[in-house]
Amino acid sequence: MKRYLFLGIMFLLLITSLIPLILMFFTATIPGGSITKVVTHRYINNFEYKYKRLLRRKVRPYNGAKYTIINKSPKSKKSLEITIKKDTLQGVSLLTNDMDLRLLKDLTFWIKTDTIKRIIIRLKDVYGNTTDVYPEIRETDKWQKIKITSKDIDTKRINLKHITKISFLVKSPKDTEILLDDVNVVYKFPTLLNFLNVWKEDMFWRYMLNSAIIAFFVVLGNTIFGIMVGYAFARRDFFGKNFFFMLIIGTMMIPPQATIIPIFILMKHLKWIDTFYALIIPSLVTPFTIFLLKQYIEQLPRELEEAAYVDGANTFQILFRIIFPLSKPAIAVMGINTFIGAWNMLFYPLVMTSSKEMRTVQVGLALYQKLNQVDWPRLMAASSIIGLPVILVFLVFQKQIISGITKGAVKG
Amino acid sequence: MKKKKFTYNLTTFLLLSPWIVLFGVFGVFPILFSFYMSFTNYTGLSSHFSFIGISNYTNAFHDEIFLIALKNTFIFVLGTIPFTTTISLLFAVLINSKLLPLKELFKAGFFLPSVISMVVISTIWLYLYSADGFFNKIISIMGFEPLHTSWLASTKTALLSIMIMDVWAAIGYYTILFLAGLQSIPEELYEAASIDGATKNSIFFKITLPLLKPTLFFVIALNTIRSFQIFSEIFTMTGGGPANATETVVHYLYITGFRRFEMGYASAISYILVFVILIFTLIQKRVLRSDTI
Repeated sequence: MKRYLFLGIMFLLLITSLIPLILMFFTATIPGGSITKVVTHRYINNFEYKYKRLLRRKVRPYNGAKYTIINKSPKSKKSLEITIKKDTLQGVSLLTNDMDLRLLKDLTFWIKTDTIKRIIIRLKDVYGNTTDVYPEIRETDKWQKIKITSKDIDTKRINLKHITKISFLVKSPKDTEILLDDVNVVYKFPTLLNFLNVWKEDMFWRYMLNSAIIAFFVVLGNTIFGIMVGYAFARRDFFGKNFFFMLIIGTMMIPPQATIIPIFILMKHLKWIDTFYALIIPSLVTPFTIFLLKQYIEQLPRELEEAAYVDGANTFQILFRIIFPLSKPAIAVMGINTFIGAWNMLFYPLVMTSSKEMRTVQVGLALYQKLNQVDWPRLMAASSIIGLPVILVFLVFQKQIISGITKGAVKG
Repeated sequence: MKKKKFTYNLTTFLLLSPWIVLFGVFGVFPILFSFYMSFTNYTGLSSHFSFIGISNYTNAFHDEIFLIALKNTFIFVLGTIPFTTTISLLFAVLINSKLLPLKELFKAGFFLPSVISMVVISTIWLYLYSADGFFNKIISIMGFEPLHTSWLASTKTALLSIMIMDVWAAIGYYTILFLAGLQSIPEELYEAASIDGATKNSIFFKITLPLLKPTLFFVIALNTIRSFQIFSEIFTMTGGGPANATETVVHYLYITGFRRFEMGYASAISYILVFVILIFTLIQKRVLRSDTI
């Protein structure tokens, strides 16, 4: 009993500590608003106007139709009455400014007519393209709710991202009135569109690519050079070996901020600012790598190397034919931790890049965030796609990551 | 014989060459050059600069914003480390408990936030702290009056909010370190103690804690070094504001060096920071490494 209670408490603790991450992923899939106010629908117009002149800003007549606000409504107080002359296509256009309807699931509205069976819903985008939908009106002389789903709209003909007008048009054999109310957009929820938007429109594909290139070369460099330097420190005698090794451990303690200004000036003189050189070369062999690989190679048995040496192999052959395969576990630990380090760094690439095209994921997000502080779904989508690669790497390689951290700790 | 020795040394040199080049160019040179720069009025914009002695250092201690940044950094370091250390030690002891199944799951679960970058974490918490965000909602659900702005927008709560976030973000990492320390304590000691009739509390304070001292020192030292370098959180969340309430040393260094291009002055700030970190680490070494178990 006590055991289960303990387990329960631990689960509760774990979930509490993961709430921020859960909220991040959840918010990334909502159509709008925030966790406390998820926007799942939006009225294009509900016609609850106090003054008629306010109506004119949002509604335009089409082909000379007359319209006014009247005190009848299925759900609320007021609705729009449109007067149609016989045999002409007339109606109203609702202005939507520049509305993004890519997330549209349903477009709903209430309507009441006496004779009309068909109504034309015409969507117009900012480029002037239009597309029509013809929903059927089943009943007459009764308020009814009409629903248009996103499948009914021909998305090839218009750009749903920039919708400026939604018109309700009618052709009637006699003079008539129709009542319209609560024109409402219901959004898709959950959605992956936020991810697509930050990926394509906000250049995150580019930031991810940059970071991936940097991480790849940094890990590659650390593997090759780390094996060389680690081997030298583990197996070979040279002047001041212990001193230099202590120096390497010492440099792990020095804050990077103490060296960044001269490195920046150096990069500027080399004209490497805003290039991959500046972002990759200084990290090609890090103290952490040397430390980790030296410790690992030191405890490998010497017999294989000696046998190979007797057979006439040279040092580099021994290194890459014997030491390298034997050191794979340590290289995995080093590689994964180096990857995460390279992916997550901010200060260094922030200083060394100036153009948008060269930003890494962390620089990209930090600066993007400053411009989009209220668009939480998009911001969380951006955070998610940047966090996801390291989370996946962690889930697959937990053992190596944790071992890298505890091995680094032993040195203290 | 002589030739063989020469070849041996040459090979060693070749093996070491990547490190020699990189360490020389991106390690030794910057450290020395930035020390030199800290005595000049170098701007990074023009090549004309002159030696100005220790003015940068004396100016720093008359620079109001730098002093605020230093104060905030101290508050941050001293305010977060006790909590991070205690909570992560507690988590480690809980996970290490024999009663707990699924140890690997808990280990991984608590550690997960540590692999995520500080920028992502800051962005999430910016959202949680926002005016209509998660925390304000929780407060109003509990029946208290929520802040009607973001927690980061008020000078009273901004730094505290960042500190809370940092404790959350750092716990998993140090839990793993403590766990490694706990697992290195030999089982026999516990068995012997319980045979002798020691209570759980006395086992923890008389055996576990003293034997954990090296880990404790390492955790606190590492956390001190990292906390003094706090930058990403500030850059992402507040930019040092409101009214310098969250300005920290490294963020101020970034502003002076790379926004105002007072690179000589920024170098001096970096050396003051290194010096402060050094002093702190030495003090901790004295306090925690004294061999009185």
